[in-house]
Amino acid sequence: MNAIFAAIFIISSVFLLFVSPDKFLPSLLSGAESAAKMSLTLFCIYAVWMGLSRIAEKSGLSAGAARALKPLSKKLFKTDNPAAQENIAMNLSCNLLGIGGAATPFAVKAIAQLEKEKNEFAQKLLFIINATSIQILPTTVIALRAGANSAAAYDIFLPSLICTCISTVTGVLLYLVFSKIKRGAGN
Amino acid sequence: MVYIIPAIFLFVFIFGAIKKVKLYSEFSAGIQEAVKFTFSLLPCLAAIFMMCELFEVSGFSDIITKALSPVFSALGIPAELTKLVLIKPFSGSGSLAYLNKIIQQYGADSYISRCACVCFGSSETVFYISAVYFASTSVKNLAKPIVIVLISTLISTVFACLLCRIM
Repeated sequence: MNAIFAAIFIISSVFLLFVSPDKFLPSLLSGAESAAKMSLTLFCIYAVWMGLSRIAEKSGLSAGAARALKPLSKKLFKTDNPAAQENIAMNLSCNLLGIGGAATPFAVKAIAQLEKEKNEFAQKLLFIINATSIQILPTTVIALRAGANSAAAYDIFLPSLICTCISTVTGVLLYLVFSKIKRGAGN
Repeated sequence: MVYIIPAIFLFVFIFGAIKKVKLYSEFSAGIQEAVKFTFSLLPCLAAIFMMCELFEVSGFSDIITKALSPVFSALGIPAELTKLVLIKPFSGSGSLAYLNKIIQQYGADSYISRCACVCFGSSETVFYISAVYFASTSVKNLAKPIVIVLISTLISTVFACLLCRIM
């Protein structure tokens, strides 16, 4: 991330110096401003879902979800930490339900738990699953199309579902294959 | 579909009440966590958004878009979508604005718009997610997972353009 950030930042800055140097500071400020606005939006989403998730946690619901998904999380993520399993289970459930905003805090908690056992494999796997998007219902897009007077706003449902599955399955498989190769080379 | 979210809330709240959870205190305690969490994200967000803004304003993104257009066309991705596919990993709001523009320009039910919607709906803001997820960890060497995600997203994009032709 550091390398990518440095490369894009420096190359873009040099470009900007040639095109319109006066836009340099305003761009940075407007970037920070969008971050501030974005964090307000994010806070609203997180307030709703983390409040709810706290109740789910205290009532034992999340532990139940974790138990249901335990065989999967044990086999795929190779973790025995119940707190990590619980957060992974909640993260995956939120993703599947299409409430992506709610999924992020769980993923971050799960990653912090996995950090304790130095389970870098599971951390990266969880990142790949989330970053390849496993949404069942693309609510934003459907709302956008309905707003633009689409005759059938929902007709992208099936292709979206297929594509989101393709990207997640490809990502997980590639990752598993690469880690196998690496482990094989290490032995 | 509109009933899913209220149903989840009602289910969790009623279940919590049965289990004698103090709903108000715990709900606020959860929001307290949300406050801390949002603040912990702000530094990453600000840095990434500044980078994205520079990337866009400097015209660097346009140059890359032009350079990659032929490659994307060869893979069956329409030239109109190149920019959307490239921006999406960097910026959710930026690509959403661009998606909106495509829908307005070509009409919601055109092939280009449907394709754009599927690509948008089945991909994520990879760089933002990687920054947020790994902010508080010692994990290094994220290049490999990021490349894997980008490759997978590209493959699903190719399929999206194909599927929208036949479905």
